[in-house]
Amino acid sequence: MSIDARNHEDAETFDGSDDGSDDDENKSPVQRWADDWIRNPEKAYAVMLVFLGGVLLTTSLFPLYWLFNVAMAPPGQTDIPIVPATIDLSAFVQVFVQVPFARFMFNSLFYAFTVTLFVLLIGSLAGYAFGRLEFRGKTPLLFSLLVLSFFPPATLFIPLFRAFNQQVPMLGLFTLPVELYGTPGAVITPLSAFTMPLAIFILTTFYGQIPDGLEDAARVEGTTRIGALFRVIMPLSAPGVATAGILTFITVYTEFFFSFLMTGNSAAEWAPVVDGVIAFQTQYTVRYDLQAAASLIAIVPVAILVVVAQDKIISGLTQGALKE
Amino acid sequence: MLIAVAVEQGRTEQADGSGGVLTGIATWMENLSEQAYAYLLLVPGFLVLLMFAFWPLASAIRMSFFADVITSGELGAFVGLQNYVRLLTNTNALAPAAFIDPSFQTPILEQALAMTILFAVLSVTGETLLGFLYAMLMKAEYKGRRLVRLLIILPWAIPIVIQGMIFFLLFRPGYGLLTEPLQQIGLFSSLPLNTTFDSFVIVTVADIWKTSAFMALLILAGLESVNQDLYEVADVMGASRWQRFRYITFPLVFPVLMVAMLFRTMGALRVYGIIESTTVGCSTVPSMTCLVTQFMFGSATQYGSAAAVSVLIAIVVGLFIMVYLGFIRRSNQSLGLA
Repeated sequence: MSIDARNHEDAETFDGSDDGSDDDENKSPVQRWADDWIRNPEKAYAVMLVFLGGVLLTTSLFPLYWLFNVAMAPPGQTDIPIVPATIDLSAFVQVFVQVPFARFMFNSLFYAFTVTLFVLLIGSLAGYAFGRLEFRGKTPLLFSLLVLSFFPPATLFIPLFRAFNQQVPMLGLFTLPVELYGTPGAVITPLSAFTMPLAIFILTTFYGQIPDGLEDAARVEGTTRIGALFRVIMPLSAPGVATAGILTFITVYTEFFFSFLMTGNSAAEWAPVVDGVIAFQTQYTVRYDLQAAASLIAIVPVAILVVVAQDKIISGLTQGALKE
Repeated sequence: MLIAVAVEQGRTEQADGSGGVLTGIATWMENLSEQAYAYLLLVPGFLVLLMFAFWPLASAIRMSFFADVITSGELGAFVGLQNYVRLLTNTNALAPAAFIDPSFQTPILEQALAMTILFAVLSVTGETLLGFLYAMLMKAEYKGRRLVRLLIILPWAIPIVIQGMIFFLLFRPGYGLLTEPLQQIGLFSSLPLNTTFDSFVIVTVADIWKTSAFMALLILAGLESVNQDLYEVADVMGASRWQRFRYITFPLVFPVLMVAMLFRTMGALRVYGIIESTTVGCSTVPSMTCLVTQFMFGSATQYGSAAAVSVLIAIVVGLFIMVYLGFIRRSNQSLGLA
């Protein structure tokens, strides 16, 4: 097709979309385009949105693409081309052969699940008390949770590290009966404490929104006090519970500080993905292709979670997680 | 038949037996006053927080008043505010980096306090702008919105160590795609991950890349909760798009925006993981949290100074929170909510 013909076709489509035009016979296509947009601003916004979206998604996805690209490259190659020379997926298999990467993944997921369940259960009790009951000291206690979130994990780390190594007594009262460092407890307990305040805030807001009548009705039917929380309030606040749960899960799974410093570095010692990715770096060799492949594999569980739960997260946050 | 009855009886008995204790507990809970019941429900949560948050916190504050013992993991004599004074006047000779240098000898990016605040301001500003654009993109209605939403949210769910890996691989000399072009136009040095300025820029970009998504989620929640009727009224009154944004969207989203920025500022002031996993490490980009770990695990163990730094971080975070809460209160007042 010649250039002329294509131009002609374009001109025709513009004429077609230009409704009610009488004086733009002599205008260039660009001018007509501009006129059209001035008449129909919605169209201009749509085009801008698509353009903006394209740019944003490219910047957001390019780093992930680069990871994939590095995973494709043969070991030891430098100056990686922007498009992989060959499609070679062997790195994704090699990852599990060279180090027990599956175990590292399991450890991380185990931490995330355990902390989430623990925080939701215990946070629900506290959220119910804060959201639905009146008692003395409510405001100071809520405020203490807020103050807690001022402090960086590093603050909590020093004393806990020493207590978990049995160097100092816990609470200044008793030495821990077992050395917690290097066990799942050394990661699960501080991360539970670290994620709990936000979960309590979210659950408090949601539980407080459930009308009293619904709970009263269940109580008249013979539900116990604690049963009312778990059978009535919690199911009715499902979006809030889901939001708190997902935020906790992702915080723990992506966390670096405690996961890195509170564990040993072998998979058998409950080291999480952090150490799994680093494990490809030995004193003499570094396999960047395997690190890249391992990184992509470690993203899969959270990617699935985001796919499944994105509507829940958005509706949960919209319905009131942010109201306080 | 007989057996069936026997089994049935056995079951009921068993149920009664195990139910006895539970019923007892349930009855006891039913009879508690509202106040006592509330305290009972708070016990497990606050017990966990007491052991793994409040106690370590109190303990760290106490440690910050004791001298460092360089040779062992012990605490020295009570020295009052000496650790703080040495940090704030930059007179701790064994410090891995200056917390703040009152004599202005140290470059800004090599002072933990200034560097961290600059990082927080730059990354939170970038995240807010990008997050707003993302949120608009997630809010608009079109085909394939679910996919776009997923792609936008995804970086937020990526473990920090992998985020670090990605940017390490992008900027590693002789390997990364971006090192050479940026070096040729004179922006970066040949070893960007070993250079303070370059590393600072890379870490900031990496942080914006990952956390804009979280910002977008919170802002989207704000946008979705704006009463849509307001827009119809605005349309009837002939408001332009800019006016709709200026007089409806922005003021109503502002409180949520402040909360989102508050969350992110708190996170940014504690930055550590992305530095440790992207660059050569804390020696190039000395954030405040970096200082804590270096004091703890460095060649000279300095628990007292480490604790003092972590208390100073909390004070800085607290000051930022005050400022934000002030803004939030003022905006609520102007909306007539408070």
